[in-house]
Amino acid sequence: MAVDRQILEPSTPNHLAETKRSKWKQAVFRFIRYKPLGTVGAAIVLFMILVAVSAEVISPYDPLETDYINMFTPPDFTHWLGTDAFGRDIMSRIIYGSRTAMLVGFTAAFIGATLGLFIGVASAYFGGRIDLLVQRLLDIFMSFPLIILALSVVAIFGTGTEKVIMAITVPLVPRCARVVRSSALAIREIPYVDAARACGFTHWRIIVRHMLPNVVAPYLIMLTAFQGQAILLEASLSFLGLGVQEPTPAWGLMLQGGAEEYAESAPWMAIFPGLAISIAVFAFNVFGDSLRDVLDPRLRGAK
Amino acid sequence: MYRYIIRRILLMIPTLVGVAILVFVLMRLLPGDIVEMRLASEGAYVSEETLDKERARLGLDKPIWQQFVNWMWGICRLDLGESMWTGQPITYEIGIRFQVSLQVAVMSTIIAVILAIPLGMIAALKQDTWVDYAIRIFSIAGLATPSFWLGIMIILAFLIFFTWAPPMVFTPIWVDPVANLSQLIWPALATGYRYSAVATRMTRSTVLEVLREDYIRTARAKGLWEKLILVRHALKNAMLPVITVIGLEFAFLIGGLVVTEQVFNLNGIGKLFVDAVGNKDYTLVQGLVLMVAFVFTITNLVVDILYAWLDPRIRYQ
Repeated sequence: MAVDRQILEPSTPNHLAETKRSKWKQAVFRFIRYKPLGTVGAAIVLFMILVAVSAEVISPYDPLETDYINMFTPPDFTHWLGTDAFGRDIMSRIIYGSRTAMLVGFTAAFIGATLGLFIGVASAYFGGRIDLLVQRLLDIFMSFPLIILALSVVAIFGTGTEKVIMAITVPLVPRCARVVRSSALAIREIPYVDAARACGFTHWRIIVRHMLPNVVAPYLIMLTAFQGQAILLEASLSFLGLGVQEPTPAWGLMLQGGAEEYAESAPWMAIFPGLAISIAVFAFNVFGDSLRDVLDPRLRGAK
Repeated sequence: MYRYIIRRILLMIPTLVGVAILVFVLMRLLPGDIVEMRLASEGAYVSEETLDKERARLGLDKPIWQQFVNWMWGICRLDLGESMWTGQPITYEIGIRFQVSLQVAVMSTIIAVILAIPLGMIAALKQDTWVDYAIRIFSIAGLATPSFWLGIMIILAFLIFFTWAPPMVFTPIWVDPVANLSQLIWPALATGYRYSAVATRMTRSTVLEVLREDYIRTARAKGLWEKLILVRHALKNAMLPVITVIGLEFAFLIGGLVVTEQVFNLNGIGKLFVDAVGNKDYTLVQGLVLMVAFVFTITNLVVDILYAWLDPRIRYQ
């Protein structure tokens, strides 16, 4: 439709910009209309990004401030979600924890998906023996469940925020590479890749300029799908004491910090951080699912 | 069929060897040497002599290729070396914990199947009604809820409403089946929820696909009883991908158990793994990672064979 309009109407740059913008608006409108659940997810994701960015402004207390007079305070008007064993405000810790979750989730998902994108496209482009070798290597990495591979990386490099990001990135790379490769294989057969090669372009240029733009859809899908997985994985590692370390506020860590021992006297300590994790992962998952349906229905069922 | 199985087994060997090489290399990536990391990392003074003795005990003084050959030879004899923490053989450490983990894994699989197949089927039949939406939200929530938090919530609920706490000691099923089952049903439920969510989604989408097939229309056209169509024609054909997912997720359960066993204080493989990472017990981590990868690969193989057996089109490709 957009193309027709461009041909029929005089295409001044102004017009082009307008059609482009209205195309975006249309796409967003369609998404909201046909994917209500996905829209809810997207709204929650946006809300969480806002919360993470403005943590200093909106959090009622300093997340690290201890207050030994108000230990284990049940939720009330001064501490909306109660306080923990050190008298730290749980709501503030959850707000700052969203920053940790977003930072780890986004960085790990971005690096993992991007590395996977390049590996997948390069593997499909070069084909033959290189492709076979890369595929076998990915097979080997895929024979470890996510958390086992992440824990092995932790065993080697230790704990801490940057190392957790690395530990989560490693198992994500082969999963993205696998999906991107299968899309790239189809693109490689389209004559324009041969044409580009006939023009004498370098391999790098063909991969980056001619093949990458055509696998953006699976890449974006994997990127959103990974966010949820990365947040869940970070929470699990931190819960086990092998991820983000105290005193950094992190949701998984809040569940580990005595939540079980204090379960009887202070249940709010265990309930709210877990809810935060579930809602965050839920939002990313439903948004990712709807995005997948809209961008590339063929990938339905791909994890 | 036999040719297919043999080909799949042969294809598995390079992956398993690759896994072994990767695990071996991983542990050599450590910044510094494992004996120093293990014994002197907390800043305590350890004499060079002690370090050398420990290196010799673990065979780390030998050239790297010889270490690898020794390790591989050990694997072939099912000898994974000794734990650096307890000094016991790794196969022994795994052996005493295997039963708990296996039982929880099997129980969560049963829970998942019992929940997933009817739920997925109902969701598909009532597509786009509120029932479908409710089931879909229930299953997406299952994917989002961390199993360790679900576990904590279960314990919390028991403590608050029934003042019942999970027992600290494990009772084997042959000693007291009731005590055993009442202890393990909750960790199985915590891990099984996520598992059932994956399977429910798969059941729903495959049933939807199958219902659009020509043979369903044919069955309806010849006036077959609707219930018979659903069970005989639809469900049977929709089961293939569901079986695959159940099989693959079974292998992933090992990952889920890592956190659930921690919550429920079960001394299984998952807890052993976390403790090994925490204790910097490198030989044990190495052995466990290898075992998990092997179990995972073999499960994949079994699923593939099962699939080929159920669907003849695959084995003739």
